[in-house]
Amino acid sequence: MMGKKSSTNFKVGAILTGIVLVCMAVGFFWTPYDPEAMNSARKLAGVSLAHPMGCDNFGRDILSRVLKGGGTTLLVALGTVAIGACCGIVAGAFTGYYGGIVDEVFMRINDALFAFPSILLGLVFVSLLGSGKYNVVVALGIAFIPSFARIVRSEFIRCKNMDYVKSAKLAGAGDLRIMFVHILPNVMTTLSSSVMIGFNNAVLAEAGMSYLGIGVQPPDASLGRMLSEAQTYLFSAPGYAMFPGAVLILTVLGFSLLAEGIKERRQGS
Amino acid sequence: MLDVKDLTIEFHDHLAPETVVFDFCLHMEPGEIVGLVGESGSGKSMTALAIAGLLARHDMEKRGEILFEGKDLLSCDRQQLRALQGSRIAMIFQEPMTSLNPVCRVGWQVEEALRIHCPQMTKQERRQRAMQALADADLKDTQRVYDSYPHQLSGGMRQRVMIAAAMVCEPKLLIADEPTTALDVTIQAQIVELLKRINQEKKTAILFISHDLSLVRQLCRRVIVMQGGYIVESGTVDDVFYRPKKAYTQKLVGAIPECVRQGTKGNTGKLVLSVENVHMGFVQKRRSLFEKKRRIEAVRDVSLSVREGEAVGLVGESGCGKSTLSKVILGLEKPEQGKVVHYSEHPQMVFQDPYGSLNPAYKIGRILEEPLRIQGGFPAAERRRQAQEMLVRVGLDEKIADRYPYQLSGGQRQRVCIGAALMLKPKLLIADEAVSALDVTIQAQILELLRRLKEEMGLAILFISHDMRVVYQMSDRVVIMKDGQFVESGDTDTVYFAPQHPYTEQLLLAAGIRT
Amino acid sequence: MKYFAKKLAGLVATLLAVSFLVFAAFAVIPGDPATAMLGTEATPARVEELRARLGLNDPLIVRYARWAADFVRGDFGTSYRYNMTVKSMIWDKIPITLTLAGMSFVLIVLISVPVGILCAWHAQSRLDRTVMVVNQIIMAVPAFFSGILITLVFGLVFHFFTPGDYVSYHTSWSGFLGYLFFPAVAIALPKAAMAAKLLRTSVIAEKKLDYVRTAYSRGNRTKAVLYRHVLKNALIPVVTFLGMALADMVAGSIVIEQVFNIPGIGRILLTSISNRDYPVVQAVIVCIAFLVIFINFLVDMLYRWIDPRIALE
Repeated sequence: MMGKKSSTNFKVGAILTGIVLVCMAVGFFWTPYDPEAMNSARKLAGVSLAHPMGCDNFGRDILSRVLKGGGTTLLVALGTVAIGACCGIVAGAFTGYYGGIVDEVFMRINDALFAFPSILLGLVFVSLLGSGKYNVVVALGIAFIPSFARIVRSEFIRCKNMDYVKSAKLAGAGDLRIMFVHILPNVMTTLSSSVMIGFNNAVLAEAGMSYLGIGVQPPDASLGRMLSEAQTYLFSAPGYAMFPGAVLILTVLGFSLLAEGIKERRQGS
Repeated sequence: MLDVKDLTIEFHDHLAPETVVFDFCLHMEPGEIVGLVGESGSGKSMTALAIAGLLARHDMEKRGEILFEGKDLLSCDRQQLRALQGSRIAMIFQEPMTSLNPVCRVGWQVEEALRIHCPQMTKQERRQRAMQALADADLKDTQRVYDSYPHQLSGGMRQRVMIAAAMVCEPKLLIADEPTTALDVTIQAQIVELLKRINQEKKTAILFISHDLSLVRQLCRRVIVMQGGYIVESGTVDDVFYRPKKAYTQKLVGAIPECVRQGTKGNTGKLVLSVENVHMGFVQKRRSLFEKKRRIEAVRDVSLSVREGEAVGLVGESGCGKSTLSKVILGLEKPEQGKVVHYSEHPQMVFQDPYGSLNPAYKIGRILEEPLRIQGGFPAAERRRQAQEMLVRVGLDEKIADRYPYQLSGGQRQRVCIGAALMLKPKLLIADEAVSALDVTIQAQILELLRRLKEEMGLAILFISHDMRVVYQMSDRVVIMKDGQFVESGDTDTVYFAPQHPYTEQLLLAAGIRT
Repeated sequence: MKYFAKKLAGLVATLLAVSFLVFAAFAVIPGDPATAMLGTEATPARVEELRARLGLNDPLIVRYARWAADFVRGDFGTSYRYNMTVKSMIWDKIPITLTLAGMSFVLIVLISVPVGILCAWHAQSRLDRTVMVVNQIIMAVPAFFSGILITLVFGLVFHFFTPGDYVSYHTSWSGFLGYLFFPAVAIALPKAAMAAKLLRTSVIAEKKLDYVRTAYSRGNRTKAVLYRHVLKNALIPVVTFLGMALADMVAGSIVIEQVFNIPGIGRILLTSISNRDYPVVQAVIVCIAFLVIFINFLVDMLYRWIDPRIALE
């Protein structure tokens, strides 16, 4: 019973993620129209063969903007997770493995940062650094460090007392070898699903910030930004909001299903 | 009173139906104690759960009859079954910690059966009965126990609470599924005593399920041996243990380490380890700002020496400091006083839990090669050759090198652990409860392997265990440890057959070696 | 009691750490507040004079101590942008955001607990599978997008409320709460879906544990096992999640306020960020952080009440 369900989650997740990734990759190099080309004649045009998702208030092709903007959103999320996970792994590994006063101080700071929801922390950093694509990546990346550090730290604390670590110590392995050769591969399984969840949170955080107008700045397209522009024309051109929204949902849904599927597979084995 | 006829249990959750119990028959008179013996996977727990009416999964099928006081439990509906559970039939389990609800108070849990089966009782009456039940289970300070949560009690106390909760309605049948397995030997003996007394005073029949043959021998008059879902043999304890008819029973009984005088042989090998006056204590972490820090003396003024080709047994119950001592010997912790001198390189250790001591992320071959990689200077082909040699040496197939730890059985894993420990050709091996997690027959095989390696490689082994019988099999000399101190030491025969310290005597009694 | 004291000490320590971090972060940003305040009239001499008057030349820790003392007294500073105190700008906005977060929290509990229990109890049934698929989709919808959908469907199509027509609680409490209902739903939906799933997983996991077997062996009814034994244990991880969700909701309301045009704390924060009005940003962020930390403290207390094992750790 479980086996059947897990493969459905995994399959649907993989297909959705695959489609989204391929589309965004295509959008990176080629879009049907120039995403920034305005055309007042086509202002808020509905769905048609020439413009499968219609046009926005400046007459720009929504499909092209979704492709471009989705790509930006994914890249921002990728950068965020990369910064958060790398710094989080190093910080979590050292504090978890060595413990002591450094760990104590670090955890206090971590708790303090954890008290800020990531979007709020993103807002703080953006207000300090200024808005724009790269600042959003840095801001969200820093905001994501505590959660990764926390997970890695607790996994390291769990693993460092395992007998296989003691065996490695007895065979003469140094601390760095124990941390990164013996413990890290065992942490990876837990980490991989939190990376995927983190990726989702990053997509949502970026979309939220851009929606608020403090994330990715025009003329760069971003799904969140499009949604905030579309809100004014919600009644007259619902497609303007629905298409970017749907793409956002499918991206997040694909990743969460994939994460779920991977988790179930692992539990199955 | 209880009559089980041709009980067959089948699972349907896999592609093909899998039968876990075949044609099980059992007849029990009121007030009788029957033992049910078998290794893990023999179907004994399934049978017990079925009798207690606790096997109610929709993907399984039960056939046959379970007649309890004339009523067939298999054809009863849930409501009729519920009326019996807790009032006429009660059950206790292996893990008292997880078997009690962690977030409910002990008193509430003991009273639960009364609330269900005697709703007319007042609060005071229930409380009184629960207190009485706790006192009957030999718990002191019942008021405090009544108000505490399970995690605040020790393992032995928790099992007593389980027994009190099971006995509160004075059932006619008590099913005890491995009730002493998770406990220390001396506590084990006390629980067995308690069950015996309950049986005599309340005339409660007990179905005692265990893998531990010597416990069954102490407690039961009749015994049933199961293997792979079948009853292999049944009869009186004397018949089954002293005149086993079936090959499996003979093997099982033969695997109980016997303690027959073996004669001492003096050892004049080179010294590999000497521990001199080691003292070790911990400051217990404060639980709050205001609590005073408490110091626990884990190891007090301990001296020990081990020579080449010699096996020294170290016996003690949990919390006696034996694990701390082993860590100090291996240099994983620094002693506060005294010193540890090694006369050889790379002393190694084999741990209790073969699941935890193999890195789950790597294949067996890689795990065996790891010590060589750490030391460096071995080309890849040489490492692989040595790993394969070691697999053969510990009695495993070379193909196992390509498997992951989770694909192996417990016994195979423990062999790999031993192999990995021997890769650097150490002179001293510390085995910390290395066979405690294994079934008896596997246990005997691993002990055999260790003895062979000791002879072949001139290995010195410090064999740490709580099991007196196993230690006897393995060791040339024995040390008995209690509360951080060595209370007795000497060659095995002297300690076992002429013990000086009362604690040694207590351990020997609990293990059924002295009667 | 000792647990309470320990947690209280931790609370104070975290409050100090957070406020110092925020203060320090805003102290090191490029751009001089004195220059900003003087605007075009900034000459080096006047800037220096104002810096001295504002105490900007003192060491960081002294400035922090002064700021913290003022903060405790209720003096949050003065806005750079508008000539008014920060307190007067944010004080009557706080109840709006709090009500919004509180309402969505109540909704989360009301939705997730029954759904979670129902699905766990009928695990793998058709009902459970359907609910879980819907759940998975709801989880993927960001709160601001469900806000937009709700605006479209319930506001523009069905006219259950008028988008943008916010009613202040000074005018009418019922109108105020009525207007906040849909935004609260938008915030609550994804979190409720997560909480329901967590509770379902947790109940299913608890159902397999030994103590449940013990409860059955005493002759308990299935329902009694669920409500008297399983639920209390299964709620422990859910409480942790809800604590974190409550913190998230305070932040989530910032976005939702924008969607539904509600003049709460989030609005002030956003305007102040784009105006670079740092005293306001700083005060709002510290307030939100304090709120979040205080919520975590309450969750810890609740935890202690549910799980007696906590005291040992």
